[in-house]
Amino acid sequence: MTLKRMRFLQEVLDFVGLGGRLHMEWISSAEAQKFAQVVTDFTEKIRRLGPNPLHAFIQPDMILRPRVVAASGLKSTAAEKEDAKGSLPFTGKQ
Amino acid sequence: MKDQVKKWLESGTVDIFLGMKMVDGHPLPHAFTLGNISDLEELVPGTVRYPLETFAAELAAENPDARIGLAARECTQRALNVLSLWNQAPTDRIETIKLNCCPSPLKEHAACSYLDPPEAGLFKKHFGIDNAADPEAVARFEPRERFSRWMYEFQKCIKCYGCRNICPVCFCEDCSLEHKDLIGTGQLPPEAPIFHLVRAVHMAGRCIDCGLCEEACPADIPLRLLYRKVNAVVDDLFDYRAGEGEQPPPFNIIGERPSLEPKPMENGSACPQR
Ligand code: SF4
Ligand code: SF4
Repeated sequence: MTLKRMRFLQEVLDFVGLGGRLHMEWISSAEAQKFAQVVTDFTEKIRRLGPNPLHAFIQPDMILRPRVVAASGLKSTAAEKEDAKGSLPFTGKQ
Repeated sequence: MKDQVKKWLESGTVDIFLGMKMVDGHPLPHAFTLGNISDLEELVPGTVRYPLETFAAELAAENPDARIGLAARECTQRALNVLSLWNQAPTDRIETIKLNCCPSPLKEHAACSYLDPPEAGLFKKHFGIDNAADPEAVARFEPRERFSRWMYEFQKCIKCYGCRNICPVCFCEDCSLEHKDLIGTGQLPPEAPIFHLVRAVHMAGRCIDCGLCEEACPADIPLRLLYRKVNAVVDDLFDYRAGEGEQPPPFNIIGERPSLEPKPMENGSACPQR
């Protein structure tokens, strides 16, 4: 049941464009190596995906922000990241 | 329909009949009883919709003996099915008169407020999501763009709770959407996308795809589209479709434990690599 629920959440998140950021794995307390491997892999995957795009939206001027992002051509990730770095607490170190 | 309702009321088949009554040119929900039987003259079928089943469930709970009649569309039937599965409506005390609604290849004429939705404007088509699009089309945008488009839609929300209030299958006394630990209060727009995703997840296996929420939403957010996708995932994983059959929904954890057996997974892995 939990497997299915996680699959469900993964699919819903993916549908709104936040896919790949949720992972579940069964690891026994005896499987230290597997644990390390899974965490490393997932960290790597998240790093590739880049910072959570949500942060770019959580701002006092939220009403305007998405329009700005949208208007800037949707795919200008680099510029947007630069922009976000300056003003947000969570995006400084990656 | 008027004659049938009259017969029902006079013979005591039902004590109350819920339908739409024309008041000053506007169809409004109305309870017809023996006491106001002359009102039946103004009973109208029409295209206008209202979740009368919500009233029926409330009336039935308040009056344990009352028998209730209902002008029912196809979505009303599905909603009643869901309400009865969740123990919210005693369907044995509810009689329905079917209205002509959803069109089909066999029945071209249909009367439903949903059939003539306004067309999305250029800006919305370009940066947001067209309410008339289907989930697959939305899934074809690349993830970043999909996210931006959804956020454009979500941030328009004015947190009026209209989507929740109109919904025939939203019946919880305590709503998560108003829980201050789950969703920050006192700010507009509400925390997006949490507000909308919480509602979407709660509609899993419950939403009967009537589209009333989308019709009610003053911000024109494609809510029905989102819940459609959510229910497609439920169908995929649990082989469950809300509003059909007698099976309890897979996420029903009120009372007894969930009894629906999960469908076997095809690829055996816990998490798909996306
Ligand atoms: S379409 Fe909207 S109003 Fe209708 S059942 Fe689903 S969530 Fe509720
Ligand atoms: S009806 Fe629309 S604007 Fe109102 S709370 Fe629901 S999503 Fe937000």
